Amino acid sequence: MSGENDYADLTFRNLNLDEEEESTNIQVTAGSLGQILTLGLLTVGYLFDYLVVTENTSMFAYMGSPVLAAWDVSSVDWMFMYTLALLLFNAVLPLYNNPRLTGYYWRQFRKNRLAVFSGWIVIGISLMGLLGPILLDPPTLSLTDAYLPPVGITARPEGTPISGVWKYPLGTNHQGQGMLKLLVYGARVSLQIALISTLVATGIGAVVGATGAFVGGIVDEVLFRYVDVQSVFPVFIFLLYLVYLFGAELYYIILIFGFFSWEGTARLVRAEALQRTEEAYVQASEAAGASRSWVIGRHIIPNVSSTIVTVATLILPSFVLGEAALAFLGFSEPGTFSWGTTIAGGRGSLSTAPWISTIPGFFLFFFVLCVNSVGDALTDAVDPRGESGE
Amino acid sequence: MSDPLLSVSDLKVQFNTDAGVVKAVDGISFDVERGETVCIVGESGSGKSVTSETITRLIPQPPGRIESGSIEFDGMELTDMPMKELLEIRGERIAHVFQNPQGALNPVYSIGKQIAETLHLHRDVSKKEGRDRAIDLLDRVGIPDPTKRVDEYPHEFSGGMKQRAVIAMALAADPDLLIADEPTTALDVSIQAQILDLLRDLQEEFNMSVVFVTHDLGVVAEIADSVVVMYAGKVMERGDVYELFEDPAHPYTQAMLNCRPGQGGERTIIEGSLPSAMNPPDGCRFHPRCPHAVEDCRTNDQPPMYERATTDQEVSCVHYGEGFDPSVIRDEETGTVATDGGVEQ
Repeated sequence: MSGENDYADLTFRNLNLDEEEESTNIQVTAGSLGQILTLGLLTVGYLFDYLVVTENTSMFAYMGSPVLAAWDVSSVDWMFMYTLALLLFNAVLPLYNNPRLTGYYWRQFRKNRLAVFSGWIVIGISLMGLLGPILLDPPTLSLTDAYLPPVGITARPEGTPISGVWKYPLGTNHQGQGMLKLLVYGARVSLQIALISTLVATGIGAVVGATGAFVGGIVDEVLFRYVDVQSVFPVFIFLLYLVYLFGAELYYIILIFGFFSWEGTARLVRAEALQRTEEAYVQASEAAGASRSWVIGRHIIPNVSSTIVTVATLILPSFVLGEAALAFLGFSEPGTFSWGTTIAGGRGSLSTAPWISTIPGFFLFFFVLCVNSVGDALTDAVDPRGESGE
Repeated sequence: MSDPLLSVSDLKVQFNTDAGVVKAVDGISFDVERGETVCIVGESGSGKSVTSETITRLIPQPPGRIESGSIEFDGMELTDMPMKELLEIRGERIAHVFQNPQGALNPVYSIGKQIAETLHLHRDVSKKEGRDRAIDLLDRVGIPDPTKRVDEYPHEFSGGMKQRAVIAMALAADPDLLIADEPTTALDVSIQAQILDLLRDLQEEFNMSVVFVTHDLGVVAEIADSVVVMYAGKVMERGDVYELFEDPAHPYTQAMLNCRPGQGGERTIIEGSLPSAMNPPDGCRFHPRCPHAVEDCRTNDQPPMYERATTDQEVSCVHYGEGFDPSVIRDEETGTVATDGGVEQ
């Protein structure tokens, strides 16, 4: 190619780049390298755990490490780590590397004070779910401690008045499990389902929607007739059937939620992407020699990010509520402490020990409410068109 | 003279619509020599933008379709080139600048990233090299303080600055041919002049050929080496810019020069409107609006490109053919345009 020489011939002005710019450049490269390494490490870890280590044994114990020996990493844990790694490298790190844009988003977001308040609650519950299970032991059965009210309250759950004790700050349920620990472990389950299912659903939805809109023609037709078919598929009955066949397991509940609820995302992203497809920068990129996948990935999807964020914050609460509803009906993996299970456990003693159902119910309600409020403000803040004042 | 860089011959582009087949470009031919600026000029709907976008097959297909003809670029036929090879040519060898600079920049990327995009698409360059090149180009297209502005976003640029940035994007890979589709139409007059000056300087510096699409004859006079006059998907006249302005051969070119505002003389408006591209008239496309139309203009197809005896111009008008006298089309009624002056030199 003749272009190579031409390029070398060019005299670069302003080549006096300072140290700072060097370091940011390395950081960006380190980010993509870090992502590949982290995801690779997780994949190797998962394959090792799945293929080599025997079932019900912690891979850490198998390797002879006393640290973390008690942690038998489950499929959900692996997916959760994957999700967190993807979010870290594709959402958190770019925002960190681009303080100007992040600052702009934050100033926009801050305008909505209710959302800021909700944001702190969401972060609080998320941290509780993320770190709590590491710091606290799981709730244990202790029938002698059943029906203890929260600290400072005296109640008569079984006729005789008893007061709360500091060992169980939020009281206990009918099996003597501490409410605080149930909440913390339940937050982990809710966080897992929220993040993993939402990532799966919005990921598929965004790619399908943008591809359909940009490529058009027969591809669009086939993709969206399939979306029509899937949107009338009775997912809930399918889930009950799977639970009936294989027993309830959190990982496939999460995956089915994710893989069967991207139709709405795909439709909304398509509608938005159809407009973006007409933009001059898409044509400019094509004129510069970009392939279809480049245009979709680099131009269409980033410009429909506000739609994706909107849909994500709309479907995320529905996953949390959906899982809680399944657990409430008794379709939850034994040994997981879902908020839904805890609420269901307290429904028999609602009049005598109301804290058992109401405390997790309260958390569920506020978590969902706050996510909605944050999503609303995020939609306004990250809209790329809002910035240009058009 | 060596082979032309770009040679379009008998190109026909059609669009299949619900209402019927639109013949947007109906058999046009022109050459672009190396280092030359060719202006394609015509009114809205004459097919000039479709022509420019067809060169690298940017028109949406379907509904668009290259019906026949050939586009030869540096010895390569572009009309049936596999997409993969065509993507290598787009941006790297043939670059585009579009009309609307507001929309041509993606709001989510910094200016520098967008300029470097072409490089990342075609060459194995690091982010730092891309950024350096972007700074260099921004400096070249006259953006002050490029080291700072390279990291800014499109909404922080004014309209004229955006068009400069878009030109920088197009130049990133040092193309051989720049196709500029009305790059100054959306800008105000003082900025227009700056951008035209810039394009002319850059053309010399980068030794590019330029295909410049416009409806503005003032711009044509400013920048063109040669001119292709299009009307309803056909070429009416081709020629050197000075000859064409001095002595327009085709009645359409004459009429177009006559209806320019601000040239002192009487302005004549071209009566009627552009014919339907779905159902064009027989004979010369321009005959329904032509003051000199004779019986031969209304039959057969568009006349062939006759070479003019006195100059290098080529004209698609029956009056220049065998047995006709071209002098009839320069009667007192329309007058000769050239003597009115108004040609900027």
